[in-house]
Amino acid sequence: MNRRQIWLVFRKEFIDLLRDRKTWIGAFVIPLVVIPLLFLLIGSSMSSVEEEARSDIPLVVLGKADQPLVEQLLAQPGTRLVQTDEPLALLEQAEVRAVLELPDDVEQKLSRGETIKLTLWYDPSNQKSAYARDVVGQAIDRYEQQVVAERLNAVGLSTRAIQPIETSVKSVASDERLTGSMLASIIPLMLVISLASGGIPAATDLVAGEKERGTLEALIATPVAPKNMLTAKLFAVMLMSGISALASLISLSSVLAFAPFGMDQVEYSLGFLNPVTIALLLVMLLLLAALFAGVELTISTMAKSFKEAQTYMTPVVFGAMVPAYMMLPLNPADVPLAYYLLPVFNGMAIFKEVFYGTVDALHALLAIASSLVYVVAAIAVAARFFQRENLLVK
Amino acid sequence: MIEVNQVTKRFGSFVAVDNLTFAIQPGEVLGLLGENGAGKTTTMRMMATVLQPTSGDITVDGFSVSRQSMQVRRRIGLLFGGDVGLYGRLTARENISYFGMLYGMEERALSERIIQLSRTLQMEEYLDRRVSGFSRGMKQKVAIARSLVHDPAVILLDEPTTGLDVSAASVFRRLIADLRQAGKTILFSSHNMGEVEKLCDRVVIMHRGRLRFVGSIAELKQRYRLDDLDDLFMRVVGGEHDE
Repeated sequence: MNRRQIWLVFRKEFIDLLRDRKTWIGAFVIPLVVIPLLFLLIGSSMSSVEEEARSDIPLVVLGKADQPLVEQLLAQPGTRLVQTDEPLALLEQAEVRAVLELPDDVEQKLSRGETIKLTLWYDPSNQKSAYARDVVGQAIDRYEQQVVAERLNAVGLSTRAIQPIETSVKSVASDERLTGSMLASIIPLMLVISLASGGIPAATDLVAGEKERGTLEALIATPVAPKNMLTAKLFAVMLMSGISALASLISLSSVLAFAPFGMDQVEYSLGFLNPVTIALLLVMLLLLAALFAGVELTISTMAKSFKEAQTYMTPVVFGAMVPAYMMLPLNPADVPLAYYLLPVFNGMAIFKEVFYGTVDALHALLAIASSLVYVVAAIAVAARFFQRENLLVK
Repeated sequence: MIEVNQVTKRFGSFVAVDNLTFAIQPGEVLGLLGENGAGKTTTMRMMATVLQPTSGDITVDGFSVSRQSMQVRRRIGLLFGGDVGLYGRLTARENISYFGMLYGMEERALSERIIQLSRTLQMEEYLDRRVSGFSRGMKQKVAIARSLVHDPAVILLDEPTTGLDVSAASVFRRLIADLRQAGKTILFSSHNMGEVEKLCDRVVIMHRGRLRFVGSIAELKQRYRLDDLDDLFMRVVGGEHDE
């Protein structure tokens, strides 16, 4: 290994990639701008739908409207009555959110101890209608509780008589653990996909692109050994992969920290990270980046043209997505031991453990050792292809 | 000095170069002629160690392209024709400098050499501009400078004047004359017979991978009793093996 040659080639590759707009768009702009924008857009769109669903709840009541049950319903914020002859047609057209049918003599029947029958129509395909169903349902429940209390009172019982069990549900998870579990579902997925996709523009350009432009032939004719050339190119691809993954990590963490979806009651905390877990996270990132770089450079070397390389690269991202999605719902405790030996699966499993704050030393060792084997194999295959003259010369 | 000794190159069943033998002396400019597909570029690629001969061997200053490729690479300057193979996102200076450093040149000597070559090739005004915006002729000059930056003893030029305008081609011819004067071994491939006559001491004519003629233009004219170079070329590649 000639470190000066490796440095010279790596430095040139990096400068060249820095000046390539498409590389930067793929590695930086998409993770740093598009991902947060997408999250914020989805978040704000969901908030605006929810706000609209709360602020205006047009309802149709079939039956007498001047009854206590209807009055209780109309006491809910945002509810209003709509008069119509075609209530179900209006519900289907989303002009009203729910239709409630009730008898005209609700009070009389209840006072006689009878059971009244109500029918509530709603449209489950419409989120706002589903929200209206909840609002109407809650109002009916409250009214029912009042009736039950009155009936029990009439026979000399309290409501506690029909509540023999009172359950108190308490969480043992700290804020760090809750934050970690939230991050463990989405961040490992994004990291693996960024690592796989972030290096593709660089890998495609550095071999197939150079072959097409004729620069690779000029480079091969210099006194730089192929292994030094490949090492420099591998480092350049790994760097772009790493930058892309880091950009995704920063961008997603920021989005989740400032807009914690579904975590309103939880304080955002990264207390599960410590020097050891950060080091483990970086080692696994490095190994995955090297694995993807080796595979991508092999593909780029085999391809006859830049376009052909781009086509062949697509399955790499899918290959990364399969284990990433398969592991998405798994808790670290449910990850089978064999997954710590499988490529990409092992990285995902370790990322999950890091975010859950439950790193197991044996799992970490298995994942690192197996990843090293895959990285060595990927680089050996890339090196073998990189020395084949028919693949390097147009 | 380059010695090509019974070299054959096969790609599968296709024979690109068939039992080729000739030599080029220091201070000599040898023209390599042939139609498209004659095997010129394959021969040059083997000399440059980019391709390995299937059989036979080529030595450059006594070093075998098959067994001592690194020593060979240090001694050659290479310019491929057609696509000049420059990094479009780098400036002309960065392109030349990158290759100079890969050949182990020191920064100061490299910087002086780039200035000298850019003056000789009249490319000073665009030395610090990115190559992607260059015309074909400008790119060709940068590629020539890149192939000469480390002052190689052996220079392989494949269609070097392609894309050069009349004055640039004239500058290039003067440069070749100076390099010959300096004792460099130069192999030059071209389709332009007039240019070959002006620049080359001897010519090698190839046809379908085989050697058809090696000698001076004067010898060629004398052998076939023809004066027109294009007619001569057609006669050689259309006739039987003469060597």
